[in-house]
Amino acid sequence: MSDISQSLELLVASLVPQARNKDALMKELLSHCQEILSQNHDTDLGHIAGLVKRHLLQSSASNSSSLRFTNLLSRLLDQPLLSRKYESILFLHSVASTSRRNNPIATFLPSVAPPPPKIPSTVTSPVDSSLASRAPKGKSKAALLREYRAGLGQSQLPEQLLLRDTLYLLQGISGKYVRLSLSDQDQQSRLIFVDDSTYLVPAPLRTLVHRLSEVGHLYSRVEAFVKDREGTAGVGMIEQSLCHHLQAQLTEYYRLIAVLESQTSMSPSADLDSKNIECNVREETGLTLKRLDVWITEWRLRMRMMSVCVEGARDAHGGALVNLIHSYTDNGDPFVRQFTDQLLEEVSKPFFSTLHKWLFSGELYDPYNEFFVSVNPGLAHMQYLHPSSLTGGIAQLSSDGGFAGLGGDSEDMSSERESGLRLWEAKYQFQKDMLPMFVGEAFGKKIFSTGKSLNFIRYSCHDSDWVATREKMGNTGGTLKYSDIAGLERSIDSAYLTASQRLFEVFIEKFKLLDHLQALKHYLMLGYGDFADQLMETLGPSLIKPAHTLYRHNLTATLETAIRSSNAQNDPPDVLRRLDARMLEYSHGEVGWDVFTLEYKVDAPIDTVLDPDSMLKYQKLFSHLWKMKRIEGALSQGWMRIAGGSRTFLRLPDFEYDWHQIRLVMAEMIHFIRQMQAYCHLEVIECSWTNLADFLNKREGDLDALIDAHRSYLDRMVKKVLLLSHKSGREESLLSQVRELFSTILQFRETTDNFYNYCLSESARRDQYKDAARGVHTGMQQGAQDQELRDALPTIRKLIRDYSATFSERAQGIVHSLQGHPDLDCRFLGIRLSFSDFYRSKKDHQLLQQRSS
Amino acid sequence: MSSRDSDRITSAQQTLDILYDISQLLNTQLDKETLATCVGMIENGVNPEALAAVIQELRRESAALNAQTGDGR
Repeated sequence: MSDISQSLELLVASLVPQARNKDALMKELLSHCQEILSQNHDTDLGHIAGLVKRHLLQSSASNSSSLRFTNLLSRLLDQPLLSRKYESILFLHSVASTSRRNNPIATFLPSVAPPPPKIPSTVTSPVDSSLASRAPKGKSKAALLREYRAGLGQSQLPEQLLLRDTLYLLQGISGKYVRLSLSDQDQQSRLIFVDDSTYLVPAPLRTLVHRLSEVGHLYSRVEAFVKDREGTAGVGMIEQSLCHHLQAQLTEYYRLIAVLESQTSMSPSADLDSKNIECNVREETGLTLKRLDVWITEWRLRMRMMSVCVEGARDAHGGALVNLIHSYTDNGDPFVRQFTDQLLEEVSKPFFSTLHKWLFSGELYDPYNEFFVSVNPGLAHMQYLHPSSLTGGIAQLSSDGGFAGLGGDSEDMSSERESGLRLWEAKYQFQKDMLPMFVGEAFGKKIFSTGKSLNFIRYSCHDSDWVATREKMGNTGGTLKYSDIAGLERSIDSAYLTASQRLFEVFIEKFKLLDHLQALKHYLMLGYGDFADQLMETLGPSLIKPAHTLYRHNLTATLETAIRSSNAQNDPPDVLRRLDARMLEYSHGEVGWDVFTLEYKVDAPIDTVLDPDSMLKYQKLFSHLWKMKRIEGALSQGWMRIAGGSRTFLRLPDFEYDWHQIRLVMAEMIHFIRQMQAYCHLEVIECSWTNLADFLNKREGDLDALIDAHRSYLDRMVKKVLLLSHKSGREESLLSQVRELFSTILQFRETTDNFYNYCLSESARRDQYKDAARGVHTGMQQGAQDQELRDALPTIRKLIRDYSATFSERAQGIVHSLQGHPDLDCRFLGIRLSFSDFYRSKKDHQLLQQRSS
Repeated sequence: MSSRDSDRITSAQQTLDILYDISQLLNTQLDKETLATCVGMIENGVNPEALAAVIQELRRESAALNAQTGDGR
């Protein structure tokens, strides 16, 4: 006892420093302490561990400190030095709990802490005397029953044994008394209690074991999944990381099982220590099934979540799997929410690393097709084919500079053409069902476009340096994570902006898209008037010939002459190099006018915007405008002849009326064609061009937007220049009317030429007569020819009348249908053509005439 | 000093460390020295709960004394 008093003295000295100097106080305190110590505090031993855990659970919400305590406790038990470990723990706990009780805050706010999920015993203070009084009380009712049963020879299975089996079951292993068995029908394992004549398991315990074994069942499912995925090859990265996370969870689970097992193994020793104490006391010391149930509760929820994920992973894949997990984050249960958040953080890691690579370097690293962007396997190799052909093209450009490369490379150009737009549109595909929901579809589209742009810049535009620098910049910006969606959206936005901006820059500055578009406008749509005139003039004579007599080299030579002699020679050689004259496929009987076409060749990557389809449209436009130009040229030549020639040297008063008529009709034709041309060039082409130029100056949107803008520009022109109406089946009716009108004009022109020739010879004849009358003999008599000519006159006159009638009829028809055209611009063309209601009044006139006759 | 002694000392140290960890976990506010004393007492057969009561009592006394001296000044 002296030992204790010495220690007490030490304690008093350290805790109450004032007492060191005052002997009286010291003695008083010492005796006081002795008194307290001498009071009889009887308590049970194993109970205290549970109490401490409960205390810990109450003070901190997480399970970790309690687990840590269990861990420390088991380590303490290993230490051989102390003989009274439980007393020490009890002491510590008492100190802790009494100090807590003294804390006023804790007492005022007891309800804030969650109600203890643990041992469902009544709250007992450590100095509760009821526990102490229970021991000597004698046999309880339960003990009596047990004795009765033992007397009958069917004693209950001791809970310890059942407990051990249950622990096995938690790991998916059959125990000695409780077995797992696979029934054949539904692959579900069932619990079978081994019937034993000496032991019997009461129903409440059975249900308890059933409850507990649910966790074991779920565990075995999850574990089987993880094992299964470990073994097989070709498991997606997202699934791999899911497995990783599950494995980590299972490790945690193993730890719990191990702790629980160590607690059960504790119990028998406690049993030996207190052999004389009754059984109900022994139950307090270690683990019971009920306590196990409480311990497992949280894990049951977790296992359920995990097995749900596992079930989902069987048929979902990649992004869809992430989606599936994401759908649980909106759960109202905070536990489920937290668990899924945690899980998603892990599972979405490979997704985000793919995203990062895609977003900042335009590379798709997705070996298991899990990303929401998928590569088209047929086009995947194209990226490697492209740069080489591009460098070849550039080398060619620098070496031959001019037209030399025009003829030969049409073959490989056409093969290359395939790839430009197709590569852009079809190389990568957007897969909506793989898109994780937390990203959102608009952002998904942006991500898709960004990566596509980067990829395109890198491989098709041959600008990987820029992408590499961007990649470095992107790396410094921090990683993308599930928990930081706002940051993700910000970085997506910025990446999208820079990528599409850069693509615009590359297209406009490096590949001179604007130059090409302008060249198309100038050459194919006859924007360069002097060039078109020159070409018309030089080509005109040869185009009248049948198509099969035309040769390509002649055409290209003429084209070159036209370029050289017009302002077009100032255009950059790169543009001129691409211009080519060509003949379309011709059939028998066609003349050069029908088959001649100008062509503008584009190669990658410009052909992404100027794809073959749009080049076809450009050619269509060209042929129409070229026809119009031809008519205009023919008419102006004819007019010059009629207006000038007929007045100066054709002095034939009796043909004056005919000439007057011809001039009237021709003036009408010229008006018609001029209005038509003005409409095409001013109203349609220039207006559309302004729209496109506005868009290009703004530099907004990505390549898709650029392609769309160009398409709408082209479509608008095609629709309006060719006067297409939207009525199905009759789209080109107006166009064919206009073409017929053109041919009428040409025929008329031919007839006037004939008439002109007739007049010429007629006046020559008359001059001859006059000369003969004066006695001067000039030339031979051509009586027979004169007769022929004179016979031809009525047919010529008739033809002229006929053609002018057809022309005005057709023009009227065109104006009429233009006035009912759905397109406003076309309707306006109708108004311009019959500005003073010329055709309408004519029509009324005709109607009146018809009525009167 | 024999190796056995040193073993004993290290194991004692370990035990004390573990106990100290637990005490930290439980927030008992005992320092290591006090803890060692208390554990020694418990090993000598003192009732732990009573000892805890003693600790509380002493703390209370100390607080009261502090208050007194604070008042006196």
